[in-house]
Amino acid sequence: MNFYKITRTRKLEYTILFSILLFLFDVIFSSHDSIIIHIAHEIIVFLVITSLYIYLKDFLAIRTNSPFTLVVNSLILAALIFFILTLTNTFFNYSEINSNKISFPGSFSLLLIIFILIGAATFIFSGFRELFYFRQKKNLQMYFNTMLVFLALAYFSNLLIKFDDTFDYPKDAFFVVSIILISINSLRVAWIAFLSKKQKIYLLIISIILTTLFGVNFGLLIDSNAVKSVIYNFSPGLFSIFILTMIYGMIYSSVIFFTTLFHLPTAEEFDRKAEEVSSLFDLTKLITQVFDLSELADTITALTTKVCNSDFAWLVTAKNEKFVLNSVNNIEYNDAEKVTEFLLDEYSYDIVNVLTIKKSTIKIRDKDESKTLSFGAIAIAPLRVHGKLNGYLFTARKHEYNFDEEDIKAVGAFADYASVAVENAKHIKESLEKERLEKELDVAREIQYKILPRKIPNFKNLTISTVFVPAFEVGGDYYDFFELNDDCLGFVVADVSGKGISAAFIMSELKGIFESLANIIVTPKKLLTKANELLKNTLDKKNFVTAIYGIIDFKKEQLKFARAGHTPVLYFSENKLTKLKPQGIGLGLDYGHSFENTLSEVTIELKDNDIITFYSDGIPEAKNSKLEDFGYDRFVEILRENCNESPDYISSELMKQISMFSKDKSQHDDITLVLFKWKSNNKLNGDS
Amino acid sequence: MADFIVNLRGVGNVSVIDLKGYLDAHTAPELENIFNKLVDEKKFQVVVNFHDLQYISSAGLGVFMAYVETMRNNRGDIKFSNMKENVYNIFDLLGFPVLYEFYKDEREAINKFNEQEKS
Repeated sequence: MNFYKITRTRKLEYTILFSILLFLFDVIFSSHDSIIIHIAHEIIVFLVITSLYIYLKDFLAIRTNSPFTLVVNSLILAALIFFILTLTNTFFNYSEINSNKISFPGSFSLLLIIFILIGAATFIFSGFRELFYFRQKKNLQMYFNTMLVFLALAYFSNLLIKFDDTFDYPKDAFFVVSIILISINSLRVAWIAFLSKKQKIYLLIISIILTTLFGVNFGLLIDSNAVKSVIYNFSPGLFSIFILTMIYGMIYSSVIFFTTLFHLPTAEEFDRKAEEVSSLFDLTKLITQVFDLSELADTITALTTKVCNSDFAWLVTAKNEKFVLNSVNNIEYNDAEKVTEFLLDEYSYDIVNVLTIKKSTIKIRDKDESKTLSFGAIAIAPLRVHGKLNGYLFTARKHEYNFDEEDIKAVGAFADYASVAVENAKHIKESLEKERLEKELDVAREIQYKILPRKIPNFKNLTISTVFVPAFEVGGDYYDFFELNDDCLGFVVADVSGKGISAAFIMSELKGIFESLANIIVTPKKLLTKANELLKNTLDKKNFVTAIYGIIDFKKEQLKFARAGHTPVLYFSENKLTKLKPQGIGLGLDYGHSFENTLSEVTIELKDNDIITFYSDGIPEAKNSKLEDFGYDRFVEILRENCNESPDYISSELMKQISMFSKDKSQHDDITLVLFKWKSNNKLNGDS
Repeated sequence: MADFIVNLRGVGNVSVIDLKGYLDAHTAPELENIFNKLVDEKKFQVVVNFHDLQYISSAGLGVFMAYVETMRNNRGDIKFSNMKENVYNIFDLLGFPVLYEFYKDEREAINKFNEQEKS
C-alpha cells in the first residue's frame, strides 16, 4: 500500500511537471510559429493528458467506486464542461481569438480553461474505463487498449495537416476507427444489472440528461465559434480527443439508457434475487457466529417474510418428540401454535419437500373463544439434516396469490439453513457441556490433591509409603493420617462412590468428619459408627463411602482397625499373606443399627518386618486390553516377592507392574495405595 | 463396554427385572427408569435377576439403594437372585447381604414374597 502511494503521488508529480512545462513552453514560444515548436507543443500536451489519465485511472481503481457514483461524477463533469464552453463563447469573441488579439490576462484565462477542460474530459474518460471493466469476467484489456492506441493516432495525425493541408484523410480514418471502437466498448454495461430498482430508475433519468449534455457539448464544439477556435488553435490533437470523448459520452450514455430501460421490468425480480442471495449470505455468516438458536430463528423468519413477499413466517423445531415454536414473525404466538398443530395434523405426511397450500381457513379454539384465521397461501418447508427431521418453517400470505417457483426455492433454502443451524446449536451445546465437564474434573482433581495429606509422617517403628494416581474422571479416593499423641497414629483409607465434583465434595466433608472425630474417639469401630451418622446429612440415597479406619499404637505394637465395606487388608507377616476382611458395611448404606451391629474390629500384634497394605479397588480392578482384571493374585505375588524391600520400593514395583499390565487401557478408577512396614521395638533396641 | 439390557416381567404380583451386560454410571439411568415405572404403577415387590449381568459398578449399586426404602415403606422389597460369583463378591464386600436378601434362584425370592403376603 505504501509503495503504491509513493508511485501514485509520483504520477501526480509528473502530471504537474508536464503542465508547468506546457505553461512555460507556451509563454516562451507564444509568438513562434515553426513546425518543430508545434510538434514539441503537441507532444507536451499529449504527455499532460496521458500522465493525468494514468494518475486518474489508478486513483479511481483504488477508490472502488460504485458504478452509480461514477455515472453521477461524469454527469457533474459533463455539466461543468457545458458551463465552461458556454461561458467561453460568451466572453470571448470568435474573431478576436482567430486573429490572436487576446491580451495577457485573457490568454492566461484561456490557458486555464484549457487545463480545466483537459482535467474534466480525462476524468470522464477514466470513469468510463472503470465502468468498462466493472463486473466483467472476461479479459477485455485488448479492446480498450486498441481504442487507446487509435485515440493516440487520431491525436497525432492532426500534425500531418500542418505539413500539408490536403493531407487529412489519415486523421479522418483514425477518427472513424476510434468511433467504431468506442461504440464496441460502449456495449460493456454489465454493471447495470446489479443496481437496485431505485438506482435503475435514477440511472434512466441521469442517462437521458447525460446523453443530452454530451450531445450539446459535442454540438458546441463542432460549430464555428470561439471555444472551438480556442481549443483547436491551442492543440488540434487535443481538439480531436476532446470531441471523441464527447462522442464516447453520447454513445455510452445512450447505451446505458436503453440497457436500463430493458432492465427495468425485471428490476424487481432481480432485486428480490439479490436480496435472497445477500440474505442467504448473511445467514451463512450468522450460522457460523451465532450460538443462540432463538436469535437465529428470528433472523430466519424475518428474512423468509421479506424474501418470499409473504406476510407471516414462523419456525418450529423438534424437541422431545414434539414440535416447539421457536420464532414468529408478524403472527401471534398462540395463533402460530394452533395453526401449526392443525397443519401438521392435516398434512405432515405430505411434506416431503416444500408443500404449498392454497387458500385455507383455519378455525382455532383458544380456551373458550374460537376464532377463524384465513390465509391466501401457505408454504411449509421441512428442516432436514441427514434424513432427520428437525422441524418446519412456515410462511403464509394474507392475499390469495400462490407461492411461485422462486418463493418455494427460497423457503426451501431458508429451511435448509435453519436445519443446519439447529444441528449446529445442538453440537455446540454438547461441546460446551463437554468442556464444562472437563473443567469440572480439573476442579475436582485440584480439590482432591488439596485434601490428601502433603506430608507423610515418619516414625522409628513405622515406614509408610503412599501412592495416589487419579483417574481421568476423579474417583473420590481419600486417605489421611492423624497423629493422635506420641504413642498413637490414626489413619483412614476411603473411597467415595460417584465421580467428579460431587465425589470431591463428599471427600472434603469426609476429611472434616475424620479429622474432628480422630481426636475425640479412640476406637475405630466407634469412630466409623459416628462417621456413618454424620454422613447421613451429606450423602444422598445413591451414594456411599467405603472406608477403613485404624489406629497404630507404637507402645503396645498394635494395629487396630475396622472395615466399612472397603477392600480387604493384605497383611504379610512371617512369610504368610492373610487377606483380612472383617465384617462391616459401607458408610451410607444404612443409618439404623445394622451398621454398628455388623462392624467388627481387628487387632493385630505387630511383628518385625510386617507389611500391611491398604488400597482402593482401582488396583485389583485395573484392566488390560482384554478387559481382564489385574486381580489379587498378581498383587499378592508382587508383595511376596518384594517383602524384604523398603515400602517405597514395593509400591513403585507394584505401580510398574500395574501400568505394564494395563498399558493399552485407560485408567478407569483412582488408584490409592498405603503401605506400612513395621520395625519392632526389640529390633530397634537391639540395633542401638 | 458391552451393552446393557434391562427387561421387566411380571410373575404373579411380583415384578422381575432381568439384567444383562454391564451396569455402570452410563447404563444406570435405564434401570432407574424401570424402577420409576414400578413406583408409578405401585408395584413394590421386586426381584432382580442377575443371571446375565457381567459387571456392576458403584453407580449400579446406588440404584438399588435409592429405591429400596420406597419399596419397603410400601410393604415391598428388592430381592436379588441368580448372581454370578464376581458380582456377588462386590455386593458382599460392601455388606449388602446384611441389608438385602440374596437368593440362588428367582423362584425362591418370588416364593418369599408370596409367603409374606399370606402372613
